[in-house]
Amino acid sequence: VSVQITGTMVLQVVVSGLLVGGLYALVALGLSLVFGVMRVINIAHGTLLMLGAYVTVWLFDLFGMNPFVSVLVSMPVLFLVGVLLQKLFVHRVVHAPELSSLLLTFGISIFIANAAMVAWTSDYRSVEFLTGSFVLGEIAVSKPRLISFGVALALTGFAFLVLQYTKIGKAIRATSQHRDVAQICGINVRRIDLITFGFGAALAGAGGSLVSVMFAVYPEMGQGYVFKSFLVIVLGGVGNYPGAFFGGLLLGLVEGLASLFLTAQLTEVIAYVLLVVVLLLRPQGLLGGRT
Amino acid sequence: MTRALPVALAAALLWLAVLPLFGSDYHVSFAIQVFMWIALAGSWNLISGFTGYVSFGHVAFFGVGTYTAALLITKAGWHWLPAGLAGCVPAMALALIIGFPCLRLKGPYFAIAMLGLNEVVRALVSYFEGFTGGGNGISLPPIAAIGPVYYAMGGVAVAVTLVTYWIIKSQFGLRLIAIREDETAAGAMGIDTARLKLYAFLLSAAFPGMVGGFYAWYASHIEPLSVFPLLTTITMIIMCLFGGSGTVLGPVIGAVILSVFQEFVWARFLYVHQAIFGVLIVAVVLLMPRGIMGILRQRFRLPRAI
Repeated sequence: VSVQITGTMVLQVVVSGLLVGGLYALVALGLSLVFGVMRVINIAHGTLLMLGAYVTVWLFDLFGMNPFVSVLVSMPVLFLVGVLLQKLFVHRVVHAPELSSLLLTFGISIFIANAAMVAWTSDYRSVEFLTGSFVLGEIAVSKPRLISFGVALALTGFAFLVLQYTKIGKAIRATSQHRDVAQICGINVRRIDLITFGFGAALAGAGGSLVSVMFAVYPEMGQGYVFKSFLVIVLGGVGNYPGAFFGGLLLGLVEGLASLFLTAQLTEVIAYVLLVVVLLLRPQGLLGGRT
Repeated sequence: MTRALPVALAAALLWLAVLPLFGSDYHVSFAIQVFMWIALAGSWNLISGFTGYVSFGHVAFFGVGTYTAALLITKAGWHWLPAGLAGCVPAMALALIIGFPCLRLKGPYFAIAMLGLNEVVRALVSYFEGFTGGGNGISLPPIAAIGPVYYAMGGVAVAVTLVTYWIIKSQFGLRLIAIREDETAAGAMGIDTARLKLYAFLLSAAFPGMVGGFYAWYASHIEPLSVFPLLTTITMIIMCLFGGSGTVLGPVIGAVILSVFQEFVWARFLYVHQAIFGVLIVAVVLLMPRGIMGILRQRFRLPRAI
């Protein structure tokens, strides 16, 4: 099945890959913040994304709410879910060996995904809000993808501004740089943990809302996102928040280009190969990270 | 307690050795499943219980084992026993490919890489349709008697347990535990942490490969969805944790108890099966991180190496 690959096709996949990449960056930022502050990789991050997607599906089905507007609901809802998870469970394993937090969040993730399946069945849902494409010259840009990208970009920018300039953002960065020193300087690190986990969950939720206009929504949709978000973090360099943004775009780009040559199944494999190769050759990330 | 234990173990082994002679097919196949879980939980224990590096994708080794055995039997005409044993070869090769880059690094890299591994292997198996039968899978000749599979699977379960005992007794095991407790300190004491973690991982991957190989013969039909389920990984993790990770008997106890529960209680609640496991994992991590063995250790004087 060899099709002649033209320049237009390449441009087409580059554009749509980059658009998805913006979303990856947003979701990865949530995982990265939590990891930075608590050294906890939240295996349930993708499951939280799934919950965000269902918030959007329900608001759309019941009230016909614009899915991009529903981000304003899914983010606070997931923030609360995150705060709850942190308060009930995760705070107990912040200082424990890595094994505990990995297994704990894994258990939470399994539970939530299964509960979602029981509550909402495993049927595929979709939000058919915007269809069609903008045609720019020879390439077509899908409308939902473009708007999702725009919203993801705005949210990522907003998150960076919060991190950079607000008091709470500075406290989050200080805690992730050195927990003990931050505490000595008067930062309530447990409160920062709580806010960060909530914030991370909210970013996952926003990601879910935006994914729902592009792809199918079902209880296990979140599985791949923990892996991809982590890859994005590794590409950008662990602890390098702006790096994660470019890591996201890069992953989207690579997947887009791979889709030219490979079937959809093998495109998933590309992300994996990329992770193994980067860990082998440049574990500090392509852009260099903070150690 | 210390004196009664070997006697009880010997009696149990003897009883198991003759079970196929008088047991019904149902009992024997239930025992095969328990053996399978003992071997799988025990193999997960070898990497995650001893070094603290969590493997979220152990079922991938089981899956490549099933496909290897199935292809050797159907395409190369091998006898099932060597074919099943050969399941460990690609499993270890896969472990080497993943373990070499990921275990050189400290931190969550390994866990995340294992999280994605299963999907990747499944995608590859489905992709190479001509060879693996794609989504239809591979059908093997039906087996005449399950007795031989019983002994093969039981053999793997015993082997995993003996290897675990040997590790605990050996310097190798002490070094692995040092890595788990404080990797930086272990490295500073001159332990080649990357190499030892890799050895533990290779050992840990070999057994699921063999279990998979025998499973393929036992099940008579394999397909990507049935041999790469996430649930298998979840089950081996919870069995090992529940019994007590980093111990010899922990995975055995966990596998026996949870297999019995699975058979008689949870079979009726298939829909919430995973949710129950999720709750169990959270509960064990928070409330009894050392599992049943930890509780027994508090109440009785047990030797260190069990």
